[in-house]
Amino acid sequence: MNKNFIISGSGGQGILSIGSILANIFMLEDLFVTYCTCYGAEMRGGAVNCEINVSDKEINSLKNEKTDFLIALNQASLNKFTSKVKEGGTIIANSSLAKIEKIRNDVKYIFAPLSEEAAKLGNIKMTNSIALGILGKISGNINIEKIKEGYKKILQNKTELIEKNIEAFMLGFNYVQEGK
Amino acid sequence: MKEKALLKGNIAIATAALNCGCNCYFGYPITPQTEIGEFLSVEMQNRNLGFVCAESEIAAINMALGAASTGAKVMTSSSSCAVALMQESLSYAASDELPIVLINVMRAGPGQGYIYSSQGDYNQATIGGGNGDYKTIVLSPSSVQECYDMTQKAFYLAQKYRNPVILLVEGLLGQMAEPVILNENPYPEIDNSSWKLDGAKNRPSRKIHSLEPNQIKLCNHIQDLFKKYKTIEQNETDWEEYCCDDADILITAFGAYARNTKAVCDYFRKKGIKVGLFRPKTLYPFPSKRLATISKNVHFIIDIEMNCGQMEKDVALATLGSVPIWNITKPVGDILSPETLIKKIEDIIEQEEKKYANNI
Repeated sequence: MNKNFIISGSGGQGILSIGSILANIFMLEDLFVTYCTCYGAEMRGGAVNCEINVSDKEINSLKNEKTDFLIALNQASLNKFTSKVKEGGTIIANSSLAKIEKIRNDVKYIFAPLSEEAAKLGNIKMTNSIALGILGKISGNINIEKIKEGYKKILQNKTELIEKNIEAFMLGFNYVQEGK
Repeated sequence: MKEKALLKGNIAIATAALNCGCNCYFGYPITPQTEIGEFLSVEMQNRNLGFVCAESEIAAINMALGAASTGAKVMTSSSSCAVALMQESLSYAASDELPIVLINVMRAGPGQGYIYSSQGDYNQATIGGGNGDYKTIVLSPSSVQECYDMTQKAFYLAQKYRNPVILLVEGLLGQMAEPVILNENPYPEIDNSSWKLDGAKNRPSRKIHSLEPNQIKLCNHIQDLFKKYKTIEQNETDWEEYCCDDADILITAFGAYARNTKAVCDYFRKKGIKVGLFRPKTLYPFPSKRLATISKNVHFIIDIEMNCGQMEKDVALATLGSVPIWNITKPVGDILSPETLIKKIEDIIEQEEKKYANNI
C-alpha cells in the first residue's frame, strides 16, 4: 500500500492542521508516513499546501510527480493542483469557494459546499475537518478508531474543540454515504 | 514501548540534543533551521539551561567555543551562507580541540542563494573553509529518525574526540515530518575533567589556545591532531549498502536524496538490472576503503547529488579511476523524483552499452 495526498488552500483554513492530524493518524497505525509543508510568509491568505505519503513499507520516494488524492479548499489551489492528480485519482473541492467545473474526465470529483456546511455547524473554521471526513470515507485508509487520538495530538487537551471537530469530521464522513 | 512522535527534522534534532544533555545553545535565526532555536528557546528556559539568541552567527559560534572550553555540551545551528561565516571559528575549535556540535540545515547557494533545499555544502563541511590543517567529523542523515539518532551520536563523537562535529542536513529533511522513536541516549558520558576550564582551585592552572609561537610545539600539535583523525577514520567510518552485493551498476548518493535512489534500485531490480546504492553516513571520514572494494565488481558508478557533483571527487579518489563515473546532478530545488532518475539512468545505460559495442 502506498498512497499520496495533497491538501491545499489558503492560510487560515487549517490546511496544516488537518495535514498533521492525518499524518498522526497514520503514525498511530504504525504505518510509514512523510509529511511535507509549503507555505508563504503570510499567516492568513497566502497559499498553503502539504503533501502526505503513507505506506506499509519504508518510504523511498520523497518527491512524487503525481498524487492519489487532492483536497482543495479554494479556487486557486484547485487550479494549481488539478494536473498533479493521478489518472483515476480523486479531487475533493470546496464548492463554497470554487466553481463546480470538471476540467478532467479521468479523475473522480467530489464538490461539496464545505464552508457553508461548517457555518451550519456553527463555526466556519470546521471546513477543514469536514473535508478530512470526506477523505476519510473515500480513501478507505483512515482508521476511524484513531480519529480522536489524532486530533488529540494536535489540539491536546482542548476537549470541547476536539468534540466539535470530530462532529465535523463525521458530517464529512457521512456526506458521501448519503450520495450527495 | 518507546515513545513515538511525528516530528520535523529540525525539532527531532533539538529534541535529541536535549535528550543527550546539551546544556548550552547559541544561534541566530535563519531559514530553514529556525525551528531548532525556536523550540530550544522555550524548552531550555523551562529546564534552566543556557540559551542565547546571539547578535550574529559569528557571535554564536564564538560563544559556543567559550562555553565548550568550560566543559559544557554545546550546540549551535545555522544554514549554508551563515555557516560560511563560522568557518574561522571552526578552525579555532579544531585546533583548540573543543567539542562543538554544529547543525547545518542546507539551503541554496552560492552567495545569498535562496531558501530552496540543496546539498551544496558537501565541500564546505568535509573540506572546511577555515585556515590550516584540520578536519571536522561530518554526519549525514537520510531520515528524520536518523536526524534524531545522529544528533546524539554527534554529541558523543564531539566529546569522545574533542573535535567539532557537523550534522549536514538538507532543508528538505529539516522541514519534513516523519514518525520518530524517541530513543534514550545510547552513548556513555565522556569524562572531560582532565582538560575543561572550571577554575584552578586545588590544581595547576590550564589554558586552551591555538596560538603557539614555538615551531616544534606547533608541529607536534598538528601531528597529534592528525593521529587523532587517523583514529577517527579507523573507528567511526559509517555507511549504508542497499542491494550492493551483486550490483553491476552502483549509485552513490548521500542524505535524504539517497532515499529516492532506493526506489530507483527497486525498479531496476524488478526488471533484472542489478543496481545498488552506496550511501556514506559519515562524509568525513569518507568510507573510501569499502567503496573501493564494492566497486571492483561493478561496470560503472552513477553519482547522484543535489549539487554539481561535489561528492563525485571523493568517489573518484576512492575508486582511483578503476570504473567510469557518471553523474546526475541538479544544483538546487526539489529533489528529482524516482521517475525522472529512472529515465536519466536508462539513458546512461544506453550510452554505456553503445560504448561497449563500439569497443568490440
